[in-house]
This record gives sequence, structure tokens and C-alpha cells, in this order.
Amino acid sequence: NSVGEGCTDLKREYDQCFNRWFAEKFLKGDRSGDPCTEFFKKYQTCVQKAIKEKDIPIEGLEFMGPSKEKADS
Amino acid sequence: MKIWSTEHIFSYPWETVIKAAMRKYPNPMNPSVVGVDVLDRNLDTNGRLHSHRLLSTEWGLPGVVRAILGTNRTMTYVKEHSIVDPEEKKMELCSTNITLTNLISVDERLVYRPHPENPEITVLTQEAIITVKGVSLSSYLEGLMALTMSANARKGWDAIEWIIQNSERENVPLCDLC
Repeated sequence: NSVGEGCTDLKREYDQCFNRWFAEKFLKGDRSGDPCTEFFKKYQTCVQKAIKEKDIPIEGLEFMGPSKEKADS
Repeated sequence: MKIWSTEHIFSYPWETVIKAAMRKYPNPMNPSVVGVDVLDRNLDTNGRLHSHRLLSTEWGLPGVVRAILGTNRTMTYVKEHSIVDPEEKKMELCSTNITLTNLISVDERLVYRPHPENPEITVLTQEAIITVKGVSLSSYLEGLMALTMSANARKGWDAIEWIIQNSERENVPLCDLC
């Protein structure tokens, strides 16, 4: 489940996409980029809002806002 | 301050174990972990995957411990940074609590690597530094925490095994069980 109760569905969609990419591409040496960026952005918008609302102290963690590009490997 | 460390062997190849480790929660052995969120994920210039995650745990601290620590809060949060190096076959996770930090600090580090003599099995080395701050009986409480962590570590290993075996039995790719 997500820390934001309303974010769990978005999280599941992202997780499914990530787990597939992780197992079938990343671990096999395929560096062809992350297909999950859109799922991640939607999920992140929801989670960051929940974190602020619950006042969870995540300062000091580097995190990307939804608008940042992911670095290429 | 208490330092606790342990080593465990999984009878599965490294790739199988870390696929399970990436989706360790939820699982029936660690019911206290009630939430996991990915805050950031990126590849570094060496091709290693970095993930920053937030874990929500319902601790269920023993009543006497809560009374000593002076808190009734039961939901605590942990931040975790993991690095997966698919070339070197190493997965490292570091986690630390980000709530109750004025009372206690638990820094944990896990490293999953193939066994140096047998690539079909995986070694997990796990260590923690536990510090209880500012109260009497701190070494006693640290000892209690170490015991709790030891018990939880065993549950964690069972959880990884459970995830691997359930995916094999159901013959579906791991991700379809999410």
C-alpha cells in the first residue's frame, strides 16, 4: 500500500511496469531506457502530496519532481 | 550503541533473490510494514539503479518500551536507499528511521551477492547499528531492539523465500503478483 491511501492504485500500476522492466530488461543488461516514466509521474504527484499532508520528514532525501528528466545511463 | 550483524544464505541465484527483494512488501511474515512508496529512482553513470523509498511501519513496540520511551505513536517511517549493480551482481540497501529520531536511531545495511564459491546461491549480509538516546536503560533497550531485529530478519528471509516460491508455484512472472 501507499502512504497516501488514494495513491495505492497508481502505485500498483507503476510497480507492475517497473517490476517487468527490472526483470526483463535491466537485469538482462538492456539499457534501453525506462518505459515507466509516465506512471511514475502520476504516482509521484499523488505521493508527494500525501507526504506533505502527513508531515513526514523526508527532507534531505534527494527526489525528483515530476517535471525532471531522468538521467540516461 | 549496539551493533548487530548476521549472514544468511538463499538457495536461489542472485537475480531471483533480488527480484523478490525489490517486491518484498507486502508479505505475510512482515505485517508491520504497511506501506512502501518509491520517492525516486534513477540510473547512475555506471549503470547502477538507485531507488529511494519510504516505508511505513506499524511497530507494535511492547507496551513497556513505549512507556519508557514516552511515546504512544505507533506509525514510524523509514527511508531506504538501494543500489542494484547488475554487472557486479550486488544489491545494497541502507535504511534509517526518520521518525522517533530523538529517541532511537536504527541504521540497517543489507547486501545481497552471489556466493563466491557457488553462483547458484546468494549470500545476504545484514547489519544494524542501534542507538537509544537520552533515557536510562539505553543498553537494555538497545538489546531488546537487537532481538526484535533478529526476529524480524528471520521473517524477512522467510518473506523472500515465500515470494520466490509463490511465483514459481503459480508460474506467473513475479510482477503479476503485485
